[in-house]
Amino acid sequence: MSSTRDRISKGTLSLLWVFAGIALIAIMWELTKVLGTLIDLPFNTSDQAMPHIWTMFAAFPLPEVRGSDTTVFEAVLAATTSSLMLALGGFVIGVTVGLLLAVVMQRFLFFERGLLPFVIASQTVPLIALAPLIVGIGNQISFGPIQWSTTYSVMFIAAYLAFFPLSIGALRGLQAPTPTSLELMRSYAATNNKVLWKLRFPASIPYLVPALKVSAAASVVGTVVAEISTGVRGGIGRLMVEYARETTSQPAKVYVAVFGAIALGLVVAAAIAAVDALMTRNFPKKGIV
Amino acid sequence: MTMIHDKVQNTGSALAISGVSKVFNKGNDNEVVALSDVNLDVHTGEFISLIGPSGCGKSTLLRVIGDLTGFDSGTVQVSGKTPEDARKERLYGIAFQQAALFDWRSVSKNIELPLELAGWDKSARETRSAELLDMVQLSDFGTHRPWELSGGMQQRVAIARSLAVDPPLLLMDEPFGALDEMTRERMQNELLRIRLETGKTIVFVTHSIPEAVYLSDRVVVMSPRPGRITAEISVNLGDRTEITRESDNFFHSVTAVREALRLHDTSGSGVSSHRGEI
Repeated sequence: MSSTRDRISKGTLSLLWVFAGIALIAIMWELTKVLGTLIDLPFNTSDQAMPHIWTMFAAFPLPEVRGSDTTVFEAVLAATTSSLMLALGGFVIGVTVGLLLAVVMQRFLFFERGLLPFVIASQTVPLIALAPLIVGIGNQISFGPIQWSTTYSVMFIAAYLAFFPLSIGALRGLQAPTPTSLELMRSYAATNNKVLWKLRFPASIPYLVPALKVSAAASVVGTVVAEISTGVRGGIGRLMVEYARETTSQPAKVYVAVFGAIALGLVVAAAIAAVDALMTRNFPKKGIV
Repeated sequence: MTMIHDKVQNTGSALAISGVSKVFNKGNDNEVVALSDVNLDVHTGEFISLIGPSGCGKSTLLRVIGDLTGFDSGTVQVSGKTPEDARKERLYGIAFQQAALFDWRSVSKNIELPLELAGWDKSARETRSAELLDMVQLSDFGTHRPWELSGGMQQRVAIARSLAVDPPLLLMDEPFGALDEMTRERMQNELLRIRLETGKTIVFVTHSIPEAVYLSDRVVVMSPRPGRITAEISVNLGDRTEITRESDNFFHSVTAVREALRLHDTSGSGVSSHRGEI
């Protein structure tokens, strides 16, 4: 079908744009360096501060520390995977909590009135202030033999950032059905649960997909920031901090970690794009919202 | 196409409305008497239209019958039951001006929605939706998405859906109001054919005098402030044919309805001014 082909070529096209964007950034990076040798720029463009793109790639196969068997690339890959798992965990928890909140707020006006201000207020608390607090409280928690670990705190912070856009988007989506659709369901003597499953949830999908995108991004940002501010080891956030301290000896190394963080974002974005295509396949291609 | 109205048997009470009143915003400054002492009896198999200017309470009356809204006093019996029981027992089907089809469901699945909610099993649902698609002449469109269909086709799907559980009563709230004139007349003929095939009792809300006259056995004229029934005009056009709309008989009925509307028109412009209809 032509619509399928349209979608594929559209996908290819947007992928091309992504690569064009990356190429543009690389070119601008190198041009800035060239410019820095010609005129005085307000920032340092030396190889120390801004290594060449090829130096960055050359750092991939270097040993992480002198004499180690692990390369920088392997270390970054491992850290990125670890962060991805934490972000994923935070995302799943955040989405679940966000959806539940939205359902409760939609069903009971009382809860919408009572909860929504707190949901909004929750996001005005600065994450940096919150992170050590969560770690501090978390460390005192234990469920029998299971001891709270700092990685749970990281996941919690990711979830804390991720639930908000989802609950707001989902609430709006659940409230999206027209009065006519709702009257129709009433005429079928549908129970509240049936209305939720057969009408409100499907009708909320066009609102849910953008909310999922924002939540996914928030869970990645939350993970990386939480890793940095809690100092938890093993993730890309901490690795970036560690490598940044080595700029004098190996200036390119930190950029490999930056690539890892970018890859993390891209993997999540691609996963959400796939979910988007799957979820909205039964909807008109435009005319949503 | 031949329409033999006399074949539809007028026996038994499908709908009995007695002394029904309804007030919106009771006690407030913007209090509106939506319905005042409304009395109406509809026989099984009868086709009646509710007509009147905006605010005359015709849609409200339809919603009262369907238990989509409550009323303050009087009694309503749908097939001998309260509106609430009738709704819960799925004794009526309803169609609105907006087709209100669900985008995420195929045409067939839209028609099957009331059947799912009534607990029909899959194979029975599929058989029934195929049957109904055939009735509304959309057999080739079962797997299409609603948004791929024209407005008229969407409205046919909505009518098929309203007939899904085979309820004895059909409530229609300006179902053809958003369609162009040509499509509208074709849909009117479709509806009369379906009515003949199924023998449903139909309560039809409309703004259009010719539409009301062409479709109905009886046109119920309503008037606003307060919303009430001011006249009931029996239509005896016999079989509807291609020349029905041009016959003297049709013209006389249209005139009778128009005069009944004008008699209680307080604005002085008549019902037709609202929509630019005849």
